[in-house]
Amino acid sequence: MSAPPLLDFALPGQPLGPTSKYTPGPGTHIYESVIHASISGPVVSTHAAPTSTTSAKSSKPLPTLSITRNPPPNPSSFLRGGASVLPEVDSVVLCRITRLGARFASAEILVVGELVCREPFSGMIRREDVRATEKDRVVIREMFRVGDVVRGVVLSLGDQSNYYISTAKNEYGVVMAWAHVEAGEGAGGAAKRAMYPVSWKEVRDPVTGVVEGRKVAKPF
Amino acid sequence: MTDRRRINAPSGGTNAPVFVNPATPADSLASQRPTRTRAPDELRKIFLKTGLVPLASGSAYLELSPPSAPPTKTLTPSRTSLKLTCAVHGPKPLPRSAPFSPHLILSTTVKFAPFATRARRGYIRDSTERDLGVHLETALRGVVIGERWPKSGVEVIVTVIEGEEDGWWGDGLVGGSSGAGGGGWGLMSVLAGTITVASAAIADAGIDCVDLVSGGVAAVVRDVDAKGKGKTEEGLQEGESLVLDPCPAEHKDMVAACVVGYLAGRDEITEIWMKGETGGAADVLLDKAVHAAVASVTVVKEAVKESIEQKYKDVLSSGQGGFRGPNITKEVEMTG
Repeated sequence: MSAPPLLDFALPGQPLGPTSKYTPGPGTHIYESVIHASISGPVVSTHAAPTSTTSAKSSKPLPTLSITRNPPPNPSSFLRGGASVLPEVDSVVLCRITRLGARFASAEILVVGELVCREPFSGMIRREDVRATEKDRVVIREMFRVGDVVRGVVLSLGDQSNYYISTAKNEYGVVMAWAHVEAGEGAGGAAKRAMYPVSWKEVRDPVTGVVEGRKVAKPF
Repeated sequence: MTDRRRINAPSGGTNAPVFVNPATPADSLASQRPTRTRAPDELRKIFLKTGLVPLASGSAYLELSPPSAPPTKTLTPSRTSLKLTCAVHGPKPLPRSAPFSPHLILSTTVKFAPFATRARRGYIRDSTERDLGVHLETALRGVVIGERWPKSGVEVIVTVIEGEEDGWWGDGLVGGSSGAGGGGWGLMSVLAGTITVASAAIADAGIDCVDLVSGGVAAVVRDVDAKGKGKTEEGLQEGESLVLDPCPAEHKDMVAACVVGYLAGRDEITEIWMKGETGGAADVLLDKAVHAAVASVTVVKEAVKESIEQKYKDVLSSGQGGFRGPNITKEVEMTG
C-alpha cells in the first residue's frame, strides 16, 4: 500500500500523514498519531540518509515531513525586514559587540544560521566561553572591542534577557574588526578602517600598522 | 480615566444630524428600519486579506459588508459594516524587565478607532476594549503552540475601523422597545470577527498553531411580525428564531447571542461568550454559533492559501519544487 500523495501546500491543522509512514519535522505536530501541519507553507518530504545507524533495525527509514518556514527572498519579503527566527542551542550566529565588561562582553545577535533576524536578540559572551584554552587568563578587553562582528555558537538560552554565546573554537571569534580612527586624522576618509587578522589573537591596521588583540575566527 | 493629553472631540455622536420630519413622526422612520434579507443560516459576505501591514510579521484585514441597502432619505447608513485590521508583531525578544519564559508570551490588544461607532470612543482603551482583548487572548491561547518559541513574545493588535452597533439608530428616536439598544450585542459580532481576523494574521506571521481558529456568532431573535413562524427549534419561545451572524440593526429584539472560537479541524472550542436569556435553547444556540464558525473558517483558509501563494510566487513561477498550486491573480469574492 502506497502513501497518499502529498499536498503541495499545507495550512495549520491540516493532516499530512500517519506517524507509521512519516516522522515529524519542523513546522508539524502530532495529534491523534497523525502528523498535522502547524504553519502554512509548502510540504517537503526528505528521506533520512541511508548511512545512519538507525537503519539497521528498521528496513527503511521513514521520510521526514516538514514545512518550509521562511519563503525564499523576494521583493515582498524584503519589505517585511527579515525572517522570524529564534536562536537555538547549537545554532551558529553572527553578532555585534555592544558593551565590554570585566567578566563578559555583551552582544546583539543579528544573524542566526543563514537568516537575518527581524530584530536583534541580546546575547552575552562570558569570559570563560571566549576560548578553549587558558580560560582563566582571558582579558575581555584584549579579545573584543565594541563594534566587532563576531561569529559564535549559542550555548544556552541563558537567563531572562541574554543568550549565552561561546567562541571557544578555532572557527569562532571576531570576523570583522575596525580600527578606531581619530577625528581629523583620516581627512574625508571613512570613520573606521577594517583591520586584517595576522594571527589567532591579533589584528593589524593596514594604514598605521598598529596591532590590536582580538580572538580571531579562523578564516575559511 | 480621562485623556488629558489631547484635545478631544465632544463625547456623543459625531454623525451628521438626522432631522425627523415632524409631519410624519414615527411611522416613516420606522419604515426605514432595515430588515434581514438573507436566510437565517446565511452569513454576511466576508472579505479577508492578509499581508497588508508591511512592517508587521503578519497582518490581516476583515470586512463584513451589508447587503446593498435600498436608498434612504437620510445620510446615515441604516446598517454598519464591520471593518477590522489585525497586525501581529513578533515573535520578538522579550523586554529586559520581563522574567524568563520557556514559551511564547501572547499579548492581545483590541482598540476601537475613535470614529468606529456612533458614540465616539476615546483614545485610551476602555473597559469593553480590554474585555474584548481578554476574550481574544483566551481564544488564541488554545491554538498557538507556545513551546516552539521560548523567550519571546507576540503582540496581536486588532483595530476596529468600523464597529457593529448595538441596535438600529432609529430606535432611540422612535422610542420603541428598549430591548435592542445598549445591550452590547454589537460587541458579539466584533469579537467573532476579531477572532477570525487574528487567526488569519497569526497564520500569515508563521506562528505555530494546532489549527485555524475562527469566530462564529449566533443569536435568538424575536420578530414581532413573525407570529408562529418561530419555535422550529427546541426550547424557543413563541415568535423567537435562531439566526447566524446577526446584524443587531436588523432585529428589533435580540433575546440571546453566543460567540465561539472554534477549531474546525479538531472539533474544539477555545472561547465561548453567551449572553441574554437563552432559556432552554442554550445548546442549540451554541451549535448554531459553531456552524457560523465553520462557515467563516473556509474564508480564513482561502485567505491563508492566497498569502502562501503570494509568498512563494517565485518558486511557483519558476516551476522548481513541483508546486502545482493554481496561481490566483484576480480577486476572489469570498462567501461564508
